This record gives sequence, C-alpha cells and structure tokens, in this order.
Amino acid sequence: MIELTKINRAEAFRYMGLKGDIPENISALADECESRLMNAAAPKFHWVYADISENSGDVVTLSGHRLVLRGKDISEHLSGCFGAALMCATLGDGVDKLLRAVQAEDMAKAVTVDAFASAAVEQVCDIAEREIGERFAGKFTTWRFSPGYGDFPLECQGDFLGAVNAMRTVGVCVTEGGLLTPTKSVTAVIGISEREVPRKRRGCGTCNMRDKCNFRKNGGHCNG
Amino acid sequence: MDKKEIFRKLLADNEFVFLDGAMGTMLQAKGMEAGGIPEMLNFDKPQWLKEIHGAYIEAGAQIVYTNTFGCNRYKMAKTGKTPGEIIPEAVRIAKEAADGRALAALDVGPIGQLLEPTGSLSFEEAYDIFREQMTAGEKAGADLIVCETMTDLYELKAAVLAAKENTDLPIICTMTFEQNGRTFTGCAVSSMALTLKGLGVDAIGVNCSLGPKELEPVVAELSKWTHLPIVVKPNAGLPDPVTGEYNVTPEGFAESLCGLVKYGVKIVGGCCGTTPEFIKAAVGALRKMKHVPNAPEIISAVCSPAKTVVIDGPRIIGERINPTGKKRFKEALKSGDTDYILGQAIEQAKAGADLLDVNVGLPDIDEKAVMVKTVKAIQGITELPLQLDSTIPEVLEAALRVYNGKPIVNSVNGEEKSLETILPLVKKYGAAVVGLTLDEGGIPKTAEGRFAIAEKIMNRALSMGIPKENIFIDCLTLTASAEQEGVMETVKALARVKNELGLKTVLGVSNISFGLPNRELINANFLQMCLSHGLDLPIINPNVPAMTGAVRAYRLLANIDKNAAEFIEAYNAAPTAAMAAPAATAASSANKESTPESLIAAVCGGLKGESGSITKELLKSHECMKIVDEMLIPALDKAGADFESGRIFLPQLILAAGAAQAAFEEIKKSMGGSKGVSKGKVVLATVKGDIHDIGKNIVKVLLENYGFEVIDLGRDVPYEDVLNAALDEEVKLVGLSALMTTTLKAMEETIALVKSNKPECRIVVGGAVLTPEYAMKIGADYYAKDAKATVDAAREVYETEVRS
Repeated sequence: MIELTKINRAEAFRYMGLKGDIPENISALADECESRLMNAAAPKFHWVYADISENSGDVVTLSGHRLVLRGKDISEHLSGCFGAALMCATLGDGVDKLLRAVQAEDMAKAVTVDAFASAAVEQVCDIAEREIGERFAGKFTTWRFSPGYGDFPLECQGDFLGAVNAMRTVGVCVTEGGLLTPTKSVTAVIGISEREVPRKRRGCGTCNMRDKCNFRKNGGHCNG
Repeated sequence: MDKKEIFRKLLADNEFVFLDGAMGTMLQAKGMEAGGIPEMLNFDKPQWLKEIHGAYIEAGAQIVYTNTFGCNRYKMAKTGKTPGEIIPEAVRIAKEAADGRALAALDVGPIGQLLEPTGSLSFEEAYDIFREQMTAGEKAGADLIVCETMTDLYELKAAVLAAKENTDLPIICTMTFEQNGRTFTGCAVSSMALTLKGLGVDAIGVNCSLGPKELEPVVAELSKWTHLPIVVKPNAGLPDPVTGEYNVTPEGFAESLCGLVKYGVKIVGGCCGTTPEFIKAAVGALRKMKHVPNAPEIISAVCSPAKTVVIDGPRIIGERINPTGKKRFKEALKSGDTDYILGQAIEQAKAGADLLDVNVGLPDIDEKAVMVKTVKAIQGITELPLQLDSTIPEVLEAALRVYNGKPIVNSVNGEEKSLETILPLVKKYGAAVVGLTLDEGGIPKTAEGRFAIAEKIMNRALSMGIPKENIFIDCLTLTASAEQEGVMETVKALARVKNELGLKTVLGVSNISFGLPNRELINANFLQMCLSHGLDLPIINPNVPAMTGAVRAYRLLANIDKNAAEFIEAYNAAPTAAMAAPAATAASSANKESTPESLIAAVCGGLKGESGSITKELLKSHECMKIVDEMLIPALDKAGADFESGRIFLPQLILAAGAAQAAFEEIKKSMGGSKGVSKGKVVLATVKGDIHDIGKNIVKVLLENYGFEVIDLGRDVPYEDVLNAALDEEVKLVGLSALMTTTLKAMEETIALVKSNKPECRIVVGGAVLTPEYAMKIGADYYAKDAKATVDAAREVYETEVRS
C-alpha cells in the first residue's frame, strides 16, 4: 500500500469542468471531499514485467503469458520495445463505498469525490510509472497505454488482470461487462526500450473518445 | 467416523497440522504460462498434479488442496467445462496422490468478480455458484472444504452458507490481509473472526499476500478474537516484478513461522512462492515446538466488515430507521425511496450512533423484500453494524442471510412460540439477540417478573448453543405518564439482569416520555438513570444532541472514555462543523425575509438550509404548486441557463438542485407525501452490464427537482425490467445511461425492447461515449449531452402531452 499525501486539485477541478477562479462554495466542498477521500482510499498498485516475443503490427505476444495485446495502436505504442511492464493501480473498494454514501447524501459532493478520485488514481499510476522507470534506469519507457485507448480492446481486461495476478495483488476484478471493480482502478502497459521512444502527447491522437471528449470540446485535453 | 470427526482427530492427535504449499508456483515451474487456467490441467496434465501433491505429502503435508481454486461456473465458462466435470477429476487426483497419507481439501477461491454493491454479482448468485462447487466436492469424496484467499467477508459468508447448508464437511476459512490488518475490501481481522465463529466454521486464519514475518501483526490480532484453531499459510515473501522470484528462503520461512506459534497457530502451510522445501523446513522447525492454545478474553461484540463494536460500555443504537409514527418514512417505504432511508442512516451515523436499528414493518408492503433491499443498501454505505428489527421470523431470516457481518436480532421474547422460532435463526447465523422481558402473560409489572423472563430466555438460548455474550436483555420501558409506578421497576430489573445474570442490557428509551410535555428532558434524565444502573445499549434518537450527549458524558464520567478522547473529539475538534454551522444557518435565515425572491436566490446559490426554511415559511401563505411553478422551477431554469452559458459549472448546478430538493422536502412534508407535485413519471436506468451510475443519479436529482417523479431502476438493469417499468401507463419517457462503449449494445437492445412493446414511449439517452448521431441510430428520441438536456427532454415530452 502506498500513501497519497495530496490530491492534484487542478486536475480534479478540470475533471469537474471548472475553469478560472474556483467559487468559494465549491472550494469548501472540495476540502471536505478531499479529506474524506483520503480516509476512504487504500491506494495500491502492482506490476509485472514480460519480454515481448513478437510484435506483428497488429498483435503483441508476451513471453510466458497467456495475455495477448491486440490492436494496431498498442502494437505501435510498443514498437521498438523489447519488453513491457503491465500494471494495475487502484484506490480500493473503500472509495466505491464513499461514492455510494455521498450520492445518498448530496450529489454535488458525489461529483466532487468522483473527480478527486479520478485525479488520485492517476497519481497512483504516476507512482507506479516512476517505480517502473527506476527499475529500468538506463533504458527508455513509453507512457502508459490502457485497454480502451484507440483500438486496444477493453475485452482483454480479464486476461490482463490475470497476467498481473490483480485479484490477489491489488484486489481488482472485472465485471462480465468488462468494467474494472473497484471502479477507481486502471490497467496500463508501459513499453521498455533500449532506444529513446518518441513520447507522443498522451491521449488525443489515439483516443477513442476524441470526437466526443469534453476537454477537447472546451479546447483542452485530459493530460495537462 | 464422519469427516468432521476425522478432521477433529487430526487436530487432536497432532501438535501442529501441516498443509501444502503453492500450487500455481509449482505449475508455472512445470511450464504453465502466467495467467493460464490451472483447472484445465486436471485433464491435460494429471501427472503434474499427482507429482505436486505427492511432493508436498512427502515433505510432511497432512492436508493437500485440490487444484480447484478458480473452479467456479463463472471462471470456467470460457473453458467449456463445468465445475461438475472438473471437480471430480481434481479430487480423484488428490486422493490418489494422497493414498491415505493425507486428507484432500476441496480448494475454493474467490469467484473472480466483486459482489454487489461495488461489483454486479448478487449475494444470492454467489451462493448458488459456491453451492455447485461444494456439492460436487463432497460427492467426489473431498475430506473437507477450504475457502481461501478471500478478501470480501460477504463472499466468504455466501461460501460458508453454501458449504454448511449443502454438505457435512468441515470448513477451513482463510482470508488475505494486508499489513494494516485489513483485506482489500476493508474487512478487519476482528470482523472476520466474529462472523465466521458465528457461522460455525472449524478453523480460521490467513493466507497469501505477505510473508510469515509481515503477517505477524495480523496473526497476533486474530489470536485476540478467536478460540478456533488458527491457520497460517503465508507467501514466500514478496515477488520481484521482473524475475517473479520470491524473497524468502525455506529456512527463513520456517523460522518466521516459529515466531507465530505463540499466537496459537495450529495449522500451517505455504501460499504463493512456496514449494515442498518450504513445507519440509516448516515441519522440521515446528517439530521442536509445542502448540500454544489461544484463549482470548470473552467479549460481547457485533460487527460489519469494517467496524467491530465492542460492547464494553454504553453504545448508541439509532432508532430512526423505523416507520412507526413517521408519515414521510412510510411514504418512502411505499414508494421504494431507498435514498431517503439511506439519508436517515447517514444522519444518525454523523450524529454519533454506534449501531443502527432497521425496521421496515408496514402492513401493506412486502416486508421481507423491502428488508432485504434496505439492509443491502444500508450496509453498502455505512460501516455501522445493524440491529435487524422485525416481528416476523421470515423477515428476520432473510435479513440475517444478507447481512454482512455479525448483527443483532431484535427480538425474541419469553413466549414459547417466539423462543422456538427466533433462537434457531440466531444460532444458525451467529447473531446476537435482544430478549424482551414479556411472555404469554404480557409484560410483568414487577422487576422480579421481568427478571424471571430474562433468565428463562437466557437459559433457553444457552441450551441452544447461543453463548452468553450474544444475549442482550430489554427490560422494556413503559410510558411514565400512564404507568408512573413502573418506571423504577424497569430500572431495577435492568440492574438485576446486568449484575445477577451477567448479561448485556438494551432499552428503547424514548417511549418513557410519551404524552408528557418537555419530552427531551424526561428522556435524557431517564437515560442517565438507566446508564448508571447498567444499561449497555440505549436505543435512542442520536440526532437529539441531549441524548447522544448524555451517553458521551456517561462514558467520560464512568472512566470508559479514557482521557475523554471521544468526548473531546465529538465536541471540541469540529465546533464549526458540528455545532456552529447549524446555528449560523438558522440565524441567517431568521434574519432573512421569506419571499419568493429570497427563495429563488437561495436555490440559485445552492443554499440548502435556507431554501428549506424559506419554503417552510412560504408554505404558510402560498399554495404548494405556486411555490413549485413560480419559484422553484424558475430558479432552476436560471441555474440551468447559467450552466449552459458557462457562467456556472456542474457542481454548482447540482448544489442548486440540492437546495431545490430541500424545498421539495418541506413541500412533501406539508402535503403528507401525496403525489400532488408530480409533473410526470420518468423511468431512469443505467443499462445492463454497466455499473457506473453517477451520471444517471445526477439526472435523477435534477429531474426530481423540476417536479418529475423518477422511477430509478438503478444500474446494470435487465432489458425487461426497463420495459416493465415503462409499461406503467403514466410513463411517457424513459432515460437510459451507458458509460462504456462495451455497454452501448445493451442500450440499443433495451431501446428496441421498449419501442416494440410501447412504441409511443419516448426515450432519452446519455453517457460519455454517446454522440447525437449514434443515439439516433440506436433508436433513441433524444440525445442528452448533460443532465440539463434530459430535463429539457422531459419537459418537452410532458408539456407537449398537456397541450395535445
């Protein structure tokens, strides 16, 4: 288990669609929600490394793993990489319970907790990514690429969690509909390469949300 | 000898009993790929399994686990094989390998999907999945059942019930804890111990997650909470993410295990990363040691998974979840408004309740169904343990079944019929029970009479195996205005039950003042009298500060609340939030004039308290519908317009809706909950397969505050349920939400079903991945880009209706 000391407020407010100065009543709401989220969250992550045995341009196979990464986008993401770190991060089930409670209490709080939790799980991913980077110091890493980005199918979540042994290591499962539970959980692939990889800007180019994304409609994007 | 006796004998004959080590680690060493399906190897590589079982038995294992960890219907679906086909193979292989040298335990792991409410699997489905495994295991000849690596107490309860109700095998349960003493779902060690002891399992403990050294605090904690044999099956430390190697050696593993013996460990094995060498080393090291029986102090306690409430002094049971004498609550029960009930739970928890009584008894509802729904909903949002309150045994049993933890049953009494029907339920589900001191002859007038009934209830409970610490006696409060001479009889009886029988006491306090002026004063004083005579569990309204305060003050003065820590936390730490805030709101609204303009301003500003109090004032001089149509709706329209133009943002819009909601609550109260304000019925659902429903809930709040009546079907809603709700003739609009691309298909199917059966019904859809084009393509009538747009659609549908 790791500890988050602070949640990235700017990010959380952006998820809430807030621009400019934060109104006082929202700021007060945020203080309460942030501290309750901190109490409810049990952030943790787990990752495993796998050698890439083949990257055909459509499919990436991993040595010793049942999981197969399908799609042009993940193949391109991992092109030039000799291996991949498969990671799973979560805030834990307590956050789902908090979200249920605040929904019964006050929807404005619910929206706020939801946004802060989304920001927080990204921070957990950042910590995981840093650890992976440190473990492969001297090598180069790509940014995180998750099932559901581009044509990398959500249907692989079950096998993905199996590869990371996620049920045992971080308590993350997938529903029959392919959704991760606890809901504030993320799976992602980070490629490891001997040579520098072009660090494309995250998201928009390969994102399947690009036509309907609210950040884009407002002229922004979801990564700063 | 039956299998339970064989297991007991194994424990009795051995200082320590040894389990096997990891199965997955051994299979991967033999060539299984990571993330592979080990259960298929029962067919493909039986020889591997025989070798592994054999190696563990030679290392000293006396119980081996069958290769069936994930062998449930859900996980095996993709293999084309059923548990009924796989389990007999796995048991046969283990038994052949054991050849009488070891017992074969049917290994049962988690289903692999989270249960409701976080996941979508229901408790009942989980039970059914486990039942299939348990019966197949017993039929195939397994010697015992092991439920292991569990992180959700609720799932484990389903598994234990499935095993107990369908087999005669002994049951071992081990859960997986992190170093903080919690499982991934937040279950505490104490809660596991209390709940499983109650359900009657044969041994409990911990497995997986950490090495034996890191598990020490968890095992130490467990030894304080159970008399059952303790099982420890740790990992070989932690794996390296790159090499997959674990960091503890067999010798280090064995040495650390020896360090756990002092906590009463009886059954020992290894989990991930361990091999026969680890078991061999453990057997060798423990041979020189003696088992230390664990004998913790016996305490009275009840629990939810996350919270154990020890009754070591007065604890408050909140009485507000009860329809008796409450118009608004009755209305909520009739209309299925669970949110209202959840609001009552949250309010009491905040006010200082330690437990919540749950009573949903109303003559014209299906009490059993409502009880189950309510218990599930409340335990989904609060950590407080529950007291299940009904006069109907079937309702109590249904509630006991779905309760997650160890609850209190309210109640049994001295009548023969009650003792016969209620106590077996209390025993079976391992609950605590409230015994009312009344019987066929009514409530005895004297303390002696009530004491005699208390004793009778106690003796009967003890004879059925319900331990003393689970029996709480209610000596019954009579109304002081009607039976003044009876008040002291209650107090005397309570003191005798406490001192002479050594039982915990419980008492509903508020009735004492019925029919008298200044009820609060009487209640608080009576409460103090009872507390000083030994009352442990006052059932009160915790929202009344004088009552909660009396209990807190007593705990301080009686030297239970050490260093006044709880007291100071309640009254000193947050004066602004707990006390100053309501005072400030009251003051500011008192100063404010209650005019239509001030109400509109309060709603637009998102001021809940003010908009409620202004509405209350306005109701004296204005008609309900006038307030709705001329103030609330225009205020929301203004907030909506500001939202659309970007002057305010979603959270502020929702705050405005919340403020309008407070106004509506006042209106509803004044109308006694009649439906007079409804502008029309809208069915809302998050589609089948989708569990993200925050968006739908935002829409619900907005619609309700525009005066629409929302039939909220929740999330993961089957197609037919949407249709059935829509078939109500008054429903002209159905709203569907889907968050993921994977669930858009379900949205399309739902629309098709509704349209083919009720073509005139309009459908509005929304959700992150939808586009207007796609919405039209799948047959929706409206695409809502946000919650406000849904309100616009609803108004169009119903206003058109009015004109035509």
